[in-house]
Amino acid sequence: MLQAILLGLVAMIGNATFLAGTGLLDRPIVMCTLTGLVMGDVKSGIIIGAMMELAFIGAFSVGGAIPPEMISGGVLGAALTLASGNSPEVALTIGIPVASLALILKNACKIFILPYFVHKADQYAKEGNGEGVSRMHMLGGFLYFNLPLGVFVATAYYLGNTVMSTVLNAIPSFVQNGLTIATGLMPALGFAILASMIVNKKNAVFLFLGFLLAVYLNIPVTGIALLGVVTALIIVGIQPAQVSTALAGGDEDDDF
Amino acid sequence: MTTSETKVLNKRDLMKVFWRSFTMEWTWNYERQANLGYGFAMVPILEKLYKDKPEEKAEALQRHLEFFNTTPHVSTLILGISSAMEEQNSTQEDFDTSSINNVKVGLMGPLAGIGDSLLWGTLRIIATGIGTSLALQGNILGPILFLLIFNIPHIILRYICMMGGYKLGAGFLTKMQQGGLMDKVTYGAAIVGLMSIGAMIATMVTVNIPLSYGEGDSAIIIGDILNGIIPGIIPLLFTGFIYWLVTKKKLKTTVALLMILVIGIIGSLTGILGI
Repeated sequence: MLQAILLGLVAMIGNATFLAGTGLLDRPIVMCTLTGLVMGDVKSGIIIGAMMELAFIGAFSVGGAIPPEMISGGVLGAALTLASGNSPEVALTIGIPVASLALILKNACKIFILPYFVHKADQYAKEGNGEGVSRMHMLGGFLYFNLPLGVFVATAYYLGNTVMSTVLNAIPSFVQNGLTIATGLMPALGFAILASMIVNKKNAVFLFLGFLLAVYLNIPVTGIALLGVVTALIIVGIQPAQVSTALAGGDEDDDF
Repeated sequence: MTTSETKVLNKRDLMKVFWRSFTMEWTWNYERQANLGYGFAMVPILEKLYKDKPEEKAEALQRHLEFFNTTPHVSTLILGISSAMEEQNSTQEDFDTSSINNVKVGLMGPLAGIGDSLLWGTLRIIATGIGTSLALQGNILGPILFLLIFNIPHIILRYICMMGGYKLGAGFLTKMQQGGLMDKVTYGAAIVGLMSIGAMIATMVTVNIPLSYGEGDSAIIIGDILNGIIPGIIPLLFTGFIYWLVTKKKLKTTVALLMILVIGIIGSLTGILGI
């Protein structure tokens, strides 16, 4: 019972990433670590977190798209796996369906609860009540999803713990292996989504440059990112005339 | 009251907006997205500038509850510009208020283009790369470094954008676009992001094909042959396949995730794929 409540709180901390500058508190690598702490096995929590992080690397919000609700996926996936004493890969089998399910919950909250606060804020604005607008923002965010998410995670763990353990222990080994294989494939989805955001005919060649540097020269990702910065500076710097005009324009305007 | 002395806001006011900007996506909604977050961040400034002008204050509050969406970490750039413009509006009689939202609308798209590739595409990827490689060994430094690598640059950038946006004011947009600086930054960020993605496809997507041809010692393992041609060619092709599904076939992320799970299990059952 206490564990269930603590897990609910962990999920609420995760959701509070949207109060904390969207600073990645909600990511599986953070959520599963905290879950590990609650479950008394931090190390396994961290490992599960790393695996889930790679699986969910493409799940993030861009241009108004809502990704799977990976907070509950991460917390419940890690908690139920640890409680049943299963191997880390199992966390994904729980995490992915839970994340999809919780996304439905999140969208329902966004459609049925949140608009009330948004419209109430409009009303306060019309009255010139800035404090009212602020209150609707803080309260709205907490009540529409932060609290429901906490309750959802706590309840799901409380009810699901015993049932899930039996189910998980009955999973045949070829499925377990399949999950491990899938864990290795998962990041491909994330990279595909990331690439689709940035890539065009002009710059696609750089993806292959990064890839080839990694496979033939074995340069780690950090090194390639830094090489990328240098490459970007060189290429953008080839036409410096345009940039300096832009900066000169900036100086003129500082006068007022 | 059009005098040369139009500075009403001080650094403390701007810092209030800066701190409030951290909650930008707290009430992200389908109707107007981050509108309430934006309005919330602007409240202290509007309360100060229109203290004795309730009607103008109401107008300004409503103005900043219009549709808004951009990369949250760099939203302060637009908040800074809005602050400067509201300040001008409150001290100048003939200020065109519609220009405040026009600048907001004009900037949020291009800024999201740069911000998404810089923050989500590049910085987060570097944090993930370093964080997960440590965390896979169960090292607590993994999640800690993950948060620090992302958030230290992010918060510095958020601060620079706030102060820079205020200083540059409304002229910012035109300057950026005239000089083509916007395009250059986007292009530069794309290079860094894509090179990192390429490297991560090579190191983090793992596919093993233990399927062999022939018998005994002379058996040829298919995976080894493919790797002999170009190392990591299978992860690259697999990522390309998923890319095609997601972009050309408009496959949903959740469906794609489940599909990969099924591929893994079938691969394991048939022995085509291995650990």
